[in-house]
Amino acid sequence: MNGESAKALLLGTLGVVAAMSLAMLASHVSPILGFNAFFYGAFGGKQQIAETLASTTALLFPALGIAIAFRAGLFNIGAEGQLLIGGLFAGWLGTRIHVPPAFAIAAIFLAGAIGGGLWGAIAGWLKAARDANEVISTLMLNFIAASLALYLVTGPLRAPDAAGPELSLLPHAYWLPTLLPQTRATIALPIALIAASALRFVLDNTWFGYRLRAAGEAPEAARRAGISLSRVALWAMAWSGALAGMGGAALVAGELHRFNTQLSPGYGFIAIAVALVGGLEPLAICVAALAFGALESGGLALQAVAGVPKDAIHVIEGLLVFALAARRYLGARGATAR
Amino acid sequence: MTLSLVFSLLALALVRGTPILLASLGGVLSERAGIVNIALEGEMTAGAFAAALLSYFTRDPWLGAIGGVAVGASVGFALGFAATRWRVDQIVAGMGINLICTGGAAFGLIFVFNQAGVTPQVPAINQALWPMVFLGILLAAALQWTLARTPIGLRLRACGENPHAARAAGIDPLAVRLYASAIAGGLAGLGGVFLALGELNLYSDGMIAGRGFIALAAVIFGRWTPLGAAGVALIFGLLEALQFALQGTIAWLPSDFLQALPYIAALLALLGASGRYRPPAAEGKPYP
Amino acid sequence: MQVLDDVDLRCEAGEIHALVGENGAGKSTLAAIAAGELAADAGEIERKGRVGLVHQHFALIERLRVWENVVLGHEPQQKGSIDQGAARAFVREIGERYGLEVDPDAVVETLPVGVRQRVELLRELARDPSILILDEPTAALSPGEVERLFGTIARLTDTGVGVLVITHKLDEVFAHAGRVTVLRRGSIVEARPIAEITRVQVARAMIGGEIPSIPPHEPTHGAIVVRVNSLAVPGAFENLSLQIGAGEILGIAGVEGNGQSALADALAGLTAFRGSVERPDTIGIIPQDRLLEAVIPAWSLVDNTILGRERSAGAARSWRIDRAAAREQCAAIVERFDVRTASIDAPLSTLSGGNQQKLVVGRALIDNPAFVIAYNPTRGIDIGATATVHTELLAARNRGAAILLISFELDELFALSDRILVMARGSLLGEFTDRRFDREAIGRLMVSA
Repeated sequence: MNGESAKALLLGTLGVVAAMSLAMLASHVSPILGFNAFFYGAFGGKQQIAETLASTTALLFPALGIAIAFRAGLFNIGAEGQLLIGGLFAGWLGTRIHVPPAFAIAAIFLAGAIGGGLWGAIAGWLKAARDANEVISTLMLNFIAASLALYLVTGPLRAPDAAGPELSLLPHAYWLPTLLPQTRATIALPIALIAASALRFVLDNTWFGYRLRAAGEAPEAARRAGISLSRVALWAMAWSGALAGMGGAALVAGELHRFNTQLSPGYGFIAIAVALVGGLEPLAICVAALAFGALESGGLALQAVAGVPKDAIHVIEGLLVFALAARRYLGARGATAR
Repeated sequence: MTLSLVFSLLALALVRGTPILLASLGGVLSERAGIVNIALEGEMTAGAFAAALLSYFTRDPWLGAIGGVAVGASVGFALGFAATRWRVDQIVAGMGINLICTGGAAFGLIFVFNQAGVTPQVPAINQALWPMVFLGILLAAALQWTLARTPIGLRLRACGENPHAARAAGIDPLAVRLYASAIAGGLAGLGGVFLALGELNLYSDGMIAGRGFIALAAVIFGRWTPLGAAGVALIFGLLEALQFALQGTIAWLPSDFLQALPYIAALLALLGASGRYRPPAAEGKPYP
Repeated sequence: MQVLDDVDLRCEAGEIHALVGENGAGKSTLAAIAAGELAADAGEIERKGRVGLVHQHFALIERLRVWENVVLGHEPQQKGSIDQGAARAFVREIGERYGLEVDPDAVVETLPVGVRQRVELLRELARDPSILILDEPTAALSPGEVERLFGTIARLTDTGVGVLVITHKLDEVFAHAGRVTVLRRGSIVEARPIAEITRVQVARAMIGGEIPSIPPHEPTHGAIVVRVNSLAVPGAFENLSLQIGAGEILGIAGVEGNGQSALADALAGLTAFRGSVERPDTIGIIPQDRLLEAVIPAWSLVDNTILGRERSAGAARSWRIDRAAAREQCAAIVERFDVRTASIDAPLSTLSGGNQQKLVVGRALIDNPAFVIAYNPTRGIDIGATATVHTELLAARNRGAAILLISFELDELFALSDRILVMARGSLLGEFTDRRFDREAIGRLMVSA
């Protein structure tokens, strides 16, 4: 980490602390009490750590996906929808197959990746074939995904044991094994970490990664060097959606144990912040995801114990993103609203 | 359908389309000056919430309306400041602002009103609903004329196309962009005010429901002109109105599909559009 | 790094003062400061009246019309709106006054380069400057247009306006200027009336040493390896045919905007075309705008070398990048093409323009491709780097490569080409073979309809 990044990180952390203190004071809570509750909520005990890790995992998958797209120069803000469709595929498959648990879990993640990947590929294809503005297309697809999922789950795919807009419960054997017993921290986390390492390797050492980065950093130079920008767009969006979809699978198999249309409280959007704070670098994103995971669970505790509304956390996350916007993430490409 | 049904449909379309129209006018203004405005959603949210808040405490809905516009303008000013002074990545900054505003409004709901999700009913200006609709259309025409025919319009367009050329002609592109962004925020805030105090009489979590982003689509499909964006916005309003009208009437058409109608339409429009749509040449690029 | 250091400059009314220096000496920066567009860190500027600046890369708003560009900032008004009729009349009036007629309603985007310069001039003249600075005004003009421009400049100085011409073309300086100032690496090294100094002295002052010369070469006659027949690119040209032999440099002369880019792109396989193109499999490309088209400035030299490998012929690549091989090749390029850099892992942006270009050229030539497309290969770089590039191109030619050289600089074409064709309005006119190049005739063809 170079001097400039370290400075930005320090400033960012100070800013977060200051903002949180303000929020606490505004809620008539002393910052000492507030931070106490916060840190306890994030790391205080086994249960709390597990909660933090669960939030970390939920954010890490889509953040990695978003990083792929952003590095390719595509503003994918559709991770929420991709996550949802991935979760839908995963939740549906999980109730249909009868194989040994290890295979089932692998299949569930694969289904999540395929669902999310297809959803992302729609926007990717629109970009590749029609140069369609991906900010708009991915956003619209978010809304469409929500409606589609709702329709399928209350209609054609309706489950007899559903108590709402959800599918059947997964067989117990297919529930993701937990890292700490009786918590929501599951093996999804190590899977996500492996995905992060794999992504790092792909970006640095493979032609796919190179083309992706070149297309994102200097599209005209890349095109003239023989890189097909449309192919990069399509595959970057597909893989981006796939990772988000795996996040959906993790939520379905690990936390809720069934697919529910309310499965994500905006993870796909917060993941954008996570990806940006992590500088679009897979390993740094893991750390950023941990920080945000801590913010989320600490924030919940802050609300429960000290009465500070947890939305304050979202404001702080927004401030972080805003403050870090000064770092030019997309290199020479900058903003695209073409 | 009978004539009266058609009229009700059109009326509903105008009402549903106006908040999008107002926000899209803001988008056109800031983008023609050179600032990409992803923050319309946040600006609308801030405007709506501030309007409801102010109206509740002062018991005066007009003050609420003014407050909503002012808050929206402040958010736009912040975006413009970051873009011109700190030269940030405008899309990232816009996303950050959206998070801050939506989180801030949710926070404010609990913090101020001690209830999550929705404010209590506040004094509103429902009687001003139709005047506001006409105001919106008037603003679109006025903005179109201003951009095309007045010196300030020419200079603003210059800043968005080639700020270096504008500078050579003695114009300060940074100042123009800053003010354009602020006015844009005010317009989007007005859109929020329309929703909170014009159509309804409260603020609720998520009431903006992505309209800020649809406004962005309207800017693009309307080719960055005020009348074009306004037209597209009203079409979206029509689609929303159709969605209401058709609910439950056609048996085989699921209601969820109808709900997604405006978004599907936007997606399909992307199929036919793009490529030929050229944004202002210097948009999004920090100056100098 | 100091761009300008302790510079004193005086411009007087009614004179033509030439500011010369090679690329990167600081001329454009000095001009921007003089015109008030840039603030200096120290020193003072005294101006009597306005200083106008016609930029090297025009500061025009392409999507707007001529009159909009010209009156921007001081628009004639009528009850709050712009008086378009008055604006148009104004454009016509100053156009007549200075011999710079342009259609006020034309959209700048649609105008050829020479006419765009007229618009830029009009914009500055509309504001009644006492001094007008022209930054590399003849870079994209044909010889005839150059004459016309200096005619306009003479008219200007007759009316008392002082003109400062920034250029690196000594022919023009000695033909038209009254005084010359030489800038080298940010410092003034000479400032004299033209009568008191010679060309050679100015040239030496510009580069601080002897001008490297290129070895002469004899024309060769190898087998034809590049055949282009009835080439058509929609929007650029309809029916182009040419041939290049092995070991031959074919120069394409022409004013910017006559289809050269389309020709280069078609031959490189980057754009759709009709007609037939036969060319060797191995091809090296030196694009005209390095920063936009050839490199990723934030990336290292090694990573930029890999960028060129994407199209290299060879066995099917594995999914994995062979970094060791890339490093080797980068080191080889740096060595052979004299790329001055601290390390091959340094970001390309830390290199000077000339060294960046040498890397681009090296990347294109290192594998000894049979066909080379060089498009303005030495645009904007210093004399030393230019000499290296020219030497390497000739070396490639002598090794048997067929080279298509497209350039806006006639001097470059004359120095390197075996044969020259002129491209104008989508046709290839005139063929000048056996290195018998007639500057005047070429100039006439460059602007013919």
